Amino acid sequence: MTAVQQPAVAVSRPGPVSGSRSRLPGRRIAYAYILPFFLVFAAFSIYPWLATAWESLHDTRLSTYDQSNWIGLENYRNLLTNHFFWNAFRNTITIGIISTVPQLCMALGIAHLLNYRLRGRTFFRVALLMPYATSLAAATVIFAELFDPKLGLVNWSLHTLHVPAVDWQGSTWPSQIAVSTVVTWRWTGYNALIYLAGMQAISGDLYEAAAMDGASRWSQFRHVTLPGLRPTILFTIVVSTIGAAQLFGEPLLYHNGLPDGGTQNQYQTLGLLMYQQGWTNDRLGLASATAWTMFLIIVLAVGVNLLLARRRELRDHGRRRHASTVAGVPEVTTR
Amino acid sequence: MATVTFKGAQRWYAGADSPAVVGLDLEIGDGEFMVLVGPSGCGKSTTLRMLAGLEPVDAGSVFIGDRDVSLVPPKDRDIAMVFQNYALYPHMTVEDNMGFALRMAGMKRPERRRRVAEAARMLGLTDYLDRKPRALSGGQRQRVAMGRAIVRDPAVFCMDEPLSNLDAKMRVQTRADIAALQAELGTTTVYVTHDQVEAMTMGHRVAVMNEGALQQVDVPLGLYDRPANLFVAGFIGSPRMNLLPATVRDGRATLGGVEVPVPAAADGGGRAAVVLGVRPESFRLVPGDDAAALSLEVALVEELGADSFVHGHVRIGDERQLLIVRSGDRGSVRPGEVVRVRPDPARTHVFDAQTGARLD
Repeated sequence: MTAVQQPAVAVSRPGPVSGSRSRLPGRRIAYAYILPFFLVFAAFSIYPWLATAWESLHDTRLSTYDQSNWIGLENYRNLLTNHFFWNAFRNTITIGIISTVPQLCMALGIAHLLNYRLRGRTFFRVALLMPYATSLAAATVIFAELFDPKLGLVNWSLHTLHVPAVDWQGSTWPSQIAVSTVVTWRWTGYNALIYLAGMQAISGDLYEAAAMDGASRWSQFRHVTLPGLRPTILFTIVVSTIGAAQLFGEPLLYHNGLPDGGTQNQYQTLGLLMYQQGWTNDRLGLASATAWTMFLIIVLAVGVNLLLARRRELRDHGRRRHASTVAGVPEVTTR
Repeated sequence: MATVTFKGAQRWYAGADSPAVVGLDLEIGDGEFMVLVGPSGCGKSTTLRMLAGLEPVDAGSVFIGDRDVSLVPPKDRDIAMVFQNYALYPHMTVEDNMGFALRMAGMKRPERRRRVAEAARMLGLTDYLDRKPRALSGGQRQRVAMGRAIVRDPAVFCMDEPLSNLDAKMRVQTRADIAALQAELGTTTVYVTHDQVEAMTMGHRVAVMNEGALQQVDVPLGLYDRPANLFVAGFIGSPRMNLLPATVRDGRATLGGVEVPVPAAADGGGRAAVVLGVRPESFRLVPGDDAAALSLEVALVEELGADSFVHGHVRIGDERQLLIVRSGDRGSVRPGEVVRVRPDPARTHVFDAQTGARLD
């Protein structure tokens, strides 16, 4: 019996070698399948990315595209000493904060409510996606009507409440709030659904344990839901940060499609400034420099987010190391 | 410290055809370790969750001590629960997990630390207080879940299959640990399990449930020696009790040609059809010429070292019945043989074939 089995084992041994050889053509086919993506990615992402970097080092103009001259970092120097750049930079940050922070907080609250057994829950879940599915142009044009200082519904409502009219177009803060409202309206539901998915991954036992431990609904939210959602929250913050840094359509359409972001550039974002530099002022080189600066700002912002999250993780890890007394391992940031 | 009383407690899930727990009456004494046991879906967990306040009581009521807690929210019932998968807060350290209830109760940090440290010492968790649950073994997590319950010093412990996520060796160890801990603390405990070995070894008393209804409550050996019905007879004991159809007349049951004397109650009312219950160890192997014995065709012999269990078939009327018999002698019986076995009349249980109830 064993004498028969022994050779069988020996024969089967080369199996994996022939197996890996026969897998090679399969691997080629796999690369062939993903090749179209990389071709499109190279043509529409990598090439423009590098070309923009190249343009940003030239005094490129659309009218004299063939006669561009190398000017080194002149465009960047120009940009960083430019009043319009810093104005747009500031606006991007303030609009980003006004739109993102309330948006994510509201999304969290809505998700928390929808996580309860609720009558008509499916209806609300679908309703949440409606703003996201609405065309950006349609939404912005309607919001522009609502916020119209003279004829808009918002000021009319304020008037009936005996609140003086607000200049939602001309003044800096009101106009930025109006633009942020469009962003918040469109994206809150989307983020709420992401949070809801994250909440449903939290074990129901934890809520029961917390209820028995005497935690109120609010304490359960603080001590069970929020910590369980931490990775999801980080994800939405990163995505919203990127979205806020690239804000373009809403402020463009809020001022009838003009890239100036209001008569005093009071809500001109970096995206609008770039467009204005390149297509209105015919300075593609400068616009390219703005594009690259925006890219670096986003990388920096996302990097800071991830670094903070990682530090937190390391701190937990450090505690554990400390507890298990692993010899020779230096203490990792225990605050 | 408190008693627990279920008075006609019922739970009927929305949309279900029948209640998950049918009007349960059960009294649990102060400091008692009561085990609820039964197959899955028998209502034992629902019963525990009604006590914990995690399920509403649809009819009847639940008392802790003299207080009707049927409508009291979980946090105000003064009970602690150990969950099957422990339900430890993943982002909190062991210390924070154990102290969470105290923190919610507004206890100051120094006092909290003292209480947690004391519980941790009892459970051998002192070295792990700074760790997060994911850095612990299964057994350690189980102890943290226990610790979270005991730091609160509640009136009642509720335990929902707390050992089912442990490996076999750990389970035996932890079984003894929990029983010892409960004896030391003297806290009234309601413990749910589907494992009859846990029920037999841990409970002061055991409540057997099936299909939402209480079948029998007794001390472990009471259940073993005098099962109240066919369900309890088949559920308690491993290998399970042999349940054989028989006819009864004039105080004697006839079982495939073998006569067994039965208690008078079994004969009353002119019953003919009964079920005889005989545990594997209540059969004796007898010499081949013994007329009052059954012929067992041996199919399989399980040698466990101390015991061997002989599995085989006997012919009762026109039916071949599976029979398991314990044999004291190692290696004396081989598969394929035919041996003669005789039930011990003094340890034969008689059940009504229709109702399943015990007859004596």
